[in-house]
Amino acid sequence: MYAPDENLMFSNRANQRNGLTGREPLVFLPGPFANEPPNGKAHLKQCEQMTLTRRQKRLCRREPGLAETLRESVRLSLLECRYQFRNERWNCSMDGRGSLLKRGFKETAFLLAVSSAALSHALAKACSSGRMERCTCDDSPGLQHREAWQWGVCGDNLKYSTKFLKKFLGQKRVSKDLRAQIDAHNINVGVRAVKSGLKTTCKCHGVSGSCAVRTCWKQLSPFQDTGHLLKYRYDTAVRVHSVTNSATGETELASPRRHSSTGPRLRPTELVFLEESPSFCRPSRYSPGTAGRPCSKDTSCSSLCCGRGYNTALRLTTLSCHCQVRWCCHVECQTCLREEEVYTCKKH
Amino acid sequence: MLFKLKLMRSGWGGVTDSRHGVVAITFCAFFMQVFVEASSWWSLAMNPLLIPEAYIIGGQPLCSQLAGLSKGQKKLCQLYQDHMHFIGEGAKTGIRECQYQFRNRRWNCSTVDNTSVFGRVMQIGSRETAFTYAISAAGVVNAVSRACREGELSSCGCSRAARPKDLPRDWLWGGCGDNLNYGYRFSKEFVDAREREKTLTKGSMESARLLMNLHNNEAGRRIASDLAHVSCKCHGVSGSCSLKTCWLQLADFRKVGDALKEKYDSAAAMRLNSRGKLVQVHSKFNSPTSNDLVYIDPSPDYCVENKTTGSLGTQDRLCNKTSEGMDGCALMCCGRGYDQYKAQLVERCHCKFHWCCYVKCKRCSRIVDQFVCK
Repeated sequence: MYAPDENLMFSNRANQRNGLTGREPLVFLPGPFANEPPNGKAHLKQCEQMTLTRRQKRLCRREPGLAETLRESVRLSLLECRYQFRNERWNCSMDGRGSLLKRGFKETAFLLAVSSAALSHALAKACSSGRMERCTCDDSPGLQHREAWQWGVCGDNLKYSTKFLKKFLGQKRVSKDLRAQIDAHNINVGVRAVKSGLKTTCKCHGVSGSCAVRTCWKQLSPFQDTGHLLKYRYDTAVRVHSVTNSATGETELASPRRHSSTGPRLRPTELVFLEESPSFCRPSRYSPGTAGRPCSKDTSCSSLCCGRGYNTALRLTTLSCHCQVRWCCHVECQTCLREEEVYTCKKH
Repeated sequence: MLFKLKLMRSGWGGVTDSRHGVVAITFCAFFMQVFVEASSWWSLAMNPLLIPEAYIIGGQPLCSQLAGLSKGQKKLCQLYQDHMHFIGEGAKTGIRECQYQFRNRRWNCSTVDNTSVFGRVMQIGSRETAFTYAISAAGVVNAVSRACREGELSSCGCSRAARPKDLPRDWLWGGCGDNLNYGYRFSKEFVDAREREKTLTKGSMESARLLMNLHNNEAGRRIASDLAHVSCKCHGVSGSCSLKTCWLQLADFRKVGDALKEKYDSAAAMRLNSRGKLVQVHSKFNSPTSNDLVYIDPSPDYCVENKTTGSLGTQDRLCNKTSEGMDGCALMCCGRGYDQYKAQLVERCHCKFHWCCYVKCKRCSRIVDQFVCK
């Protein structure tokens, strides 16, 4: 499932942030090889169908693998956002996303960060998988990596991904607008989160498996770890307001005075937001409310249902049980019916 | 539009009695409110009746003067005068537990006056009403059972419950347990008396409310009985457990409150069907058992003060700035915002034990931040 309009999130601020209002119909784009002559022109149609700025469309046309990567990044960010917020009152649903993006809530900050993180992750993986024409494996200096290249191991190319992202999002000049500064800061947080997940993985293949000869390469951590890190940043997000730096005369973001020892300047790894979020308990223009949400009786029902209580229903589930291995070599399972209780939040 | 209903008496004595009930339909017609008698037997909790003997001063019992009792309840009062004090205690325990369980929510089970106790909120058949009925019935079970064990009541004594089957054979069953059986039966007679003396037309809102009250009272009593457990005391050689005596003991009332609060969270919405019985509104959910709470009306808005519904609003309630739950300032103040005050908290500190045998404490005061809803 793909919402082509999600990419409008990355468009220039001056171009009216009107993507993702939730009203656009979901377009099921055909797969890259379905019903198309394999002459490499399929990506042009996909680039046209997505809502991008002119510069972004130009970049998309030049790079055949980019359309597919963009789709993949959207899917990744959606899944990860839904997973991280599955137990919270705001569960990253598509309804109300447009209004949410217009305000400066913590949730907006998270959305921007996770989208940019997903895009850089997908780009880096696409480079190392050979899906992009203009980039290949990680080629940072160091003997280890050149050896890795010879042995056929391909590290994820985060350097190209970061550079490309800057070009794609057009973050050349930070404007004086407070919202634009906050959005740029949050997008940076997302990219940094992916960077911090870059780990050097080594494989030993010396004499009888010893580590006399080693091949190392850099690999991105799975996106779920990045999502978990961003969720932690969301929980510790900082509220900011704009101040004018008396020395340089420029406006910059500053948080209200804190007693912690982190200093007055904002850390570049912290998510920032402008205003307190509403409680997403009741249906509003930002979310459909928590009525009907499934919850678990002992842990999440009391906070999810906002004190309204829950309804109990019995559900029959089938699962495999009494599995046995038959020679040779398949597993035969029976199906058992099990009744389990499902709790959903009450409407009022 | 007001119209009168003539009701027939049922059950008690030989005197023909007819009562007039009044059913009022509000002008906004969002829900039908049943005009429950404004006063209720809960008022027994409010007037502290210090000595049980006060009821039989001068041979003329005060039963007829007690506000809030129905006819049947007054008759029971005359028959069992010594029980009245404990019914008041039970109601007081129930109300106190209700206020503890709801202390963090918008409606905090506050009492408004001495006759109707909770005000007009109880006229709406909401989940909170269900909880209040259940917990007060459970409170009466508790109080009367305890009183029987303590020997305060003339018509009952220690528990004569049968020995439970799963008790190890060499343990003794005896002692003086809380007379749960008697407490349950008396609570049933007294608390349900008002509901049972009315006979109403099938299918009316009043009958729905009646059935709901009866169900919730029963749920409260059952929870109190189910949580009673076997308690033992070791009295063998030098206190060892070679000899053990066990008896049935009522659960700590806090546990009853917790269990009923869980039932409150999972209460079932009901409506009256064509046959005059209560059925679930959404049939796909589990049917409530006799241990579950039921309700017929949605809860009113407890955010703003409303004289019609009896809600007191959440203005001037304390809220907790850091909490995400119902007592957090966002939800408690319903988006109106809050004021911050500095308050001085005086508490005991640096307590020392002196020989012999008292504890002396100093008083410390500290300034805390308090958040109050606008």
